[in-house]
Amino acid sequence: MNDFSVIGKSIAMVDAAGKTTGAGKYTDDLSLPGMLVGKILHSPYPHARIKHIDTSRAKALDGVAAVVTGADAPNPYGILPVGHDETALAVGKVRYVGDHVACVAAINEEIAENAIELIDVEYEPLPAYFDPEESMKAESDLIHENRAHNIEKDYHHVFGDLDKGFAEADYVAEGRYIANEVTHAAMEPHSTLANFELDPHTGKLGRLTVWSSTQVPYYLQHKLSLVLEMPMSQIRVIKPLVGGGFGGKSEIIPLEIIAAVAARAARAPVKITYTREEVFWAHRGRPRTIIDLKTGVKNDGRMTAVACKVIQDGGAYCSYGVVTILYSGALLGALYDIPNIRYDGYRVLTNKPACGAMRGHGTVNVRFAFESQMDEIAAKLNLDPAEVRRVNLLKPPTVTVNGLRVLSYGLPECIDQVVARSGWKQRKGKMPKGRGLGVACSHYVSGAANSIIRSDMPHSTVNIKIDRDGGVVVYTGASEIGQGSDTMTAQVVAEVLGCEIARVKVIAADTDLTPIDLGSYSSRVTFMAGNATLRAAEEVKKNIVRASAKRMNCAPEDVIMRDGRVWKASTTLSDSHPTLSDNSKEREAARGHVDGQILRGSVLQTRKEEGPKDHMSFEEAIVAAIDFHGALTGTGSYAPPVAARGGKHKGGGVGPSPAYSYSAQVAEVSVDEETGGVTVHKIWAAHDCGRALNPVAVEGQVIGSVWMGLGQALEEEMIWKDGLLMNPGMLEYRSPSSAESPEIECIIVESIDPEGPFGAKEAGEGSLAATIPAISNAIYDAVGVRLREAPFTPERVLAALRAKKGMKRIEMTESVDPTAPHKLREHGGSLWFRGKGPMRHPRDPARQGTNAGSPMGGGE
Amino acid sequence: MSLPNFQLLRPKSLDEATALMAKYDGQVKVVAGGTDLLPSMKQKLFTPLFVLDLRGISELRGIRKRAGEGVEIGALTTLAAIEHSPMIRKDFPVLYEAVKTIASPVLRNMGTIGGNLCLDTRCLWYNQSLLWRKSCGFCLKKDGDLCHVAPGGKLCWAAFSGDTPPALLCLAAEIEIAGPAGTRRTPLSEFYLNDGIARLNLAPSEIVTRVYVPESSAGWRGSYQKLRVRGSIDYPLAGVAVALKMRAGRVEDARVAITAVNPAPFLVQDADALLVGVVPNDEIAERIGDLAASTAKPLTTSALTPEYRREMVRVFAKRAVMAAAN
Amino acid sequence: MKKELIELRINGRTYELAIEPNRLLLDLLRQDLGLTGSKRACDDSSCGSCTVQVDGVPMLSCTMLAASCEGQEITTVEGVADHGGLAALQKAYGDFGGAQCGFCTPGFMMTVRWLLANNPDPTEDEIREALSSNLCRCTGYSQMYQAIRAVIQAEQTGKKEELVGAK
Repeated sequence: MNDFSVIGKSIAMVDAAGKTTGAGKYTDDLSLPGMLVGKILHSPYPHARIKHIDTSRAKALDGVAAVVTGADAPNPYGILPVGHDETALAVGKVRYVGDHVACVAAINEEIAENAIELIDVEYEPLPAYFDPEESMKAESDLIHENRAHNIEKDYHHVFGDLDKGFAEADYVAEGRYIANEVTHAAMEPHSTLANFELDPHTGKLGRLTVWSSTQVPYYLQHKLSLVLEMPMSQIRVIKPLVGGGFGGKSEIIPLEIIAAVAARAARAPVKITYTREEVFWAHRGRPRTIIDLKTGVKNDGRMTAVACKVIQDGGAYCSYGVVTILYSGALLGALYDIPNIRYDGYRVLTNKPACGAMRGHGTVNVRFAFESQMDEIAAKLNLDPAEVRRVNLLKPPTVTVNGLRVLSYGLPECIDQVVARSGWKQRKGKMPKGRGLGVACSHYVSGAANSIIRSDMPHSTVNIKIDRDGGVVVYTGASEIGQGSDTMTAQVVAEVLGCEIARVKVIAADTDLTPIDLGSYSSRVTFMAGNATLRAAEEVKKNIVRASAKRMNCAPEDVIMRDGRVWKASTTLSDSHPTLSDNSKEREAARGHVDGQILRGSVLQTRKEEGPKDHMSFEEAIVAAIDFHGALTGTGSYAPPVAARGGKHKGGGVGPSPAYSYSAQVAEVSVDEETGGVTVHKIWAAHDCGRALNPVAVEGQVIGSVWMGLGQALEEEMIWKDGLLMNPGMLEYRSPSSAESPEIECIIVESIDPEGPFGAKEAGEGSLAATIPAISNAIYDAVGVRLREAPFTPERVLAALRAKKGMKRIEMTESVDPTAPHKLREHGGSLWFRGKGPMRHPRDPARQGTNAGSPMGGGE
Repeated sequence: MSLPNFQLLRPKSLDEATALMAKYDGQVKVVAGGTDLLPSMKQKLFTPLFVLDLRGISELRGIRKRAGEGVEIGALTTLAAIEHSPMIRKDFPVLYEAVKTIASPVLRNMGTIGGNLCLDTRCLWYNQSLLWRKSCGFCLKKDGDLCHVAPGGKLCWAAFSGDTPPALLCLAAEIEIAGPAGTRRTPLSEFYLNDGIARLNLAPSEIVTRVYVPESSAGWRGSYQKLRVRGSIDYPLAGVAVALKMRAGRVEDARVAITAVNPAPFLVQDADALLVGVVPNDEIAERIGDLAASTAKPLTTSALTPEYRREMVRVFAKRAVMAAAN
Repeated sequence: MKKELIELRINGRTYELAIEPNRLLLDLLRQDLGLTGSKRACDDSSCGSCTVQVDGVPMLSCTMLAASCEGQEITTVEGVADHGGLAALQKAYGDFGGAQCGFCTPGFMMTVRWLLANNPDPTEDEIREALSSNLCRCTGYSQMYQAIRAVIQAEQTGKKEELVGAK
């Protein structure tokens, strides 16, 4: 039954008006009296020792208030307890071009920029590593001294019996797949404003307040405490509106700490906003990944064993790397039924900006390989690719071979839906030349069952306060970043309390006001903060119901709260007691002009004398409850059940989730065989989100994920040359424009998860991973070439087409064939860059091989 | 990113502008729409003492048809105004097609035809921030002594990346240039130098003021084909313009030009010899493609490989010939 | 550099301002006037988040000198709201999910407003092209089409009131 009044109905985000009018404030929109502007000096070397820094000339410039360097904040930190390998400003060594070296706080941007040029730094260049497979051979000049062979972490997992599995197979497919590096490119550049207050008792700098564009305010509070050596209780982190994150703001970005360090030195508020180029350097995006994948199947496509080796080019710091490499292996499971799995994962350090978590964290590139290989298997065995997925479905409830518990599982219906809607059976294989269809599936966690910092603390806690004015205030640590977190919170509370959504005010992500919540990452908010909200609302509701029952002379079980009214179950509400579900009433209620609204004082007294009632307004019930109980508050928290926390093997903590979302997609593409240009005409995307609490928001999340996958499939790629990012801007890093963005039809599948709030699961990430292989499979269907290296840029597609036709080869990929890539190079597989790079240390591996290339590039 | 300091000059007439250019000879950068100059100034590619804003000179704005002579387009005419001129669309379709592909609609509201003709050449080693360029040791075109894409030579290979010049070359356009010594008129084909640094036949004190498209080019069929990754915003990675004077299905005269694959836009020599007198067919179109491809000398100045970009010049030239003919 | 005294017309009001010649219009709006609706997002004039209207035509305020705008009528996103209530387009972007993180939204407001002012009944392709000046990283643009279509339909059927509600 779906008898909800708020849940399941599309509503505008509660903060939409601020966004469409420009009134909403993001961090860079804030200012404080006497505020200074911070600008950061970055390293021009990919790997170098800092021999000396002289800031005296910068400090002497009129208008400069402070210059800070690594010595001002030398404590290391990192998002993972096992990866405290960063400092806010470089200490002793820089590890990538763009690494943070010093910061100037000045009265305006221009002076700060000029002062940066006056900082003298003496560097001693060191050999640098840009290619992960080269880096793994390193014996000396390691990027971090305690990481032998520049390997951040490697894992080797075996579940089941691999040999037996492959022996049972009728066919074994094997191949190498490469996905090049992409970044979040959220529209809002990172920004932080930091301000110290003076302590009235000591007269010295006291409490610190930081406003920051973050997905994780509590982690930021924790790391600030660590670096600044201040107690967390003296640090307040406030998250204003955030202009998109996608994982890029899900850990502590250097400027967030630097702003505080600079504010401390300058004794004035300091705001730092990254330039777009700095955002690219801060990065934390999806690492370039080499996947060696081997799948054994029976003749009907049923999988018997999977062996997967993954190498990730992680950049210069750990970041989320250990988690990323674990997700890549763990989420081989929980989509299909695979009896035997072997996984070898290597997270490698290189002298480039650190990779981290990006939408679909750890799963996307491996899913590209996996779903491509399934398509190859289908082609080889002459099976329908959709059928190959169907014969491998899980049979939930179940626990996978690698310890992942699966309860709700809407994948079968997702496949059915996209197959039906796309006309798969009628059209596949019967389309005009150059046009094709491809199918692929994916899944994702609804929050991690184990938090980064192991503790018994709940993952989310929510407080609710209702006062005599009938206003419902929800305090949640969940971080709205544009995905609809605040709206979800308001909906859940309004549904439980049976009140209008306009009555619910959400105070979110302010460490002084709101209870702790781990943040917005790993798609955890709806499931975890949603459950905590639900519990808090139910707790408050108990007290309202108890008081209402007393007023209405009935049992608490007979009290119904809905649509702004409270009544006895036995009462039939006549037309003279209209519900408040229609709009005008709702608005009036919000303004406090509804008939019978009782607020305070004399009105209340007269009404009280009226005797027992059989129905009340929401306000009356609230007043009754406050009179009866005193303060009307509730609290709820959520921690994932022990049964969902996964296996005990090393690294087994990453991957388990209380619930998984499922997605199936069909892409329709056409390929221009002369140019290699791929046009995506339409994508049908079915997503199992458990229950869609706000369908318009779920559709937005699914479409946005598919679209971001499309960007990675066709256009987006970070291009490197000797550690220099060649395209650090929105002009050259090509995020799709509307002109080539196709129609995406979202089909919501509701499997009603037994543990999700109202049955809901995640919607914001799980669809991304299926899009890339759906497109590559469609390209294969259209023109018969298999792209094993993403993105499928026109030159890669053309090179593959020419190779297939035996036509004159275009020297665009050197030895890297996009249909059979074998090496992940510094400039990606499609080598469009062959110029002379900047001067680097003579022992750079990049200096050895063919780096000089043909001096004239492609010229004659 | 802030702009470097400068003094802003805002003349109200062309005479005033040329006087100021002469007075501060060599120290002035001219700005019209700003879409080329201002991003580059943020990157400190230019730090002029004076910036001369042409926007107040209304006489340089607008499209005028002059009977018997052709069409005069003021240098300050926005690309959007050209795109939306029914007369341009009807009489000079190759120009219309080229203009329509430039950047994005909003950038076309700002950018001017004069600015598009005078676009700075572009290279991924050049169009970067000061710190970025520092980290690569700078380049020949700005602050350095090495070309990263052709390290052996002393020539800059930054690519000319305008879309309208190949179209205007196909239409045999001329431009008017104003300077201290008065105005001069020159064929557009003599305006460009195949050198990423020197770029233009334009003295530091001169300003491009008008474009003339001759009457004799009116009614030529045309097509412009552009290689870019996105359907909007991007500069061309290669571009081919074709204009054909057709009578009864046969080509009476023809011009083919390419852009974004050399430091200058080029007319493809001898294309007319292949096309004149024939009914365009696939074979002729292929030969035009080969000719255009051999004129293109793309280097690794831009996204996508040079090989691919040259290959696309071949494909697009072929397609443009067939599109213009039909 | 010496500041210059100029007069600018912004959202129907005249401001007398002392500004440096190198002041960008965007910085002037955000920092000097507190009109922070227009956003800085790209630095290379490619993303459209800073779009304002100059004499009714959308332009990038990050790519214009403030001093060059003297005598022109500048409209920012703050000037779009309809007599203190949400304009139909703003309401529809909220209702149909046209804004997620909202950072690019002010820029889209300015370009779409221009589209509808000049072309009240645009085709799908014309809407697509108009949107192609602005980058959005959240929505994939899809739900923006729904929002824009809803505005057009409300305008055509005279039911704008239903979209924005009674004022």
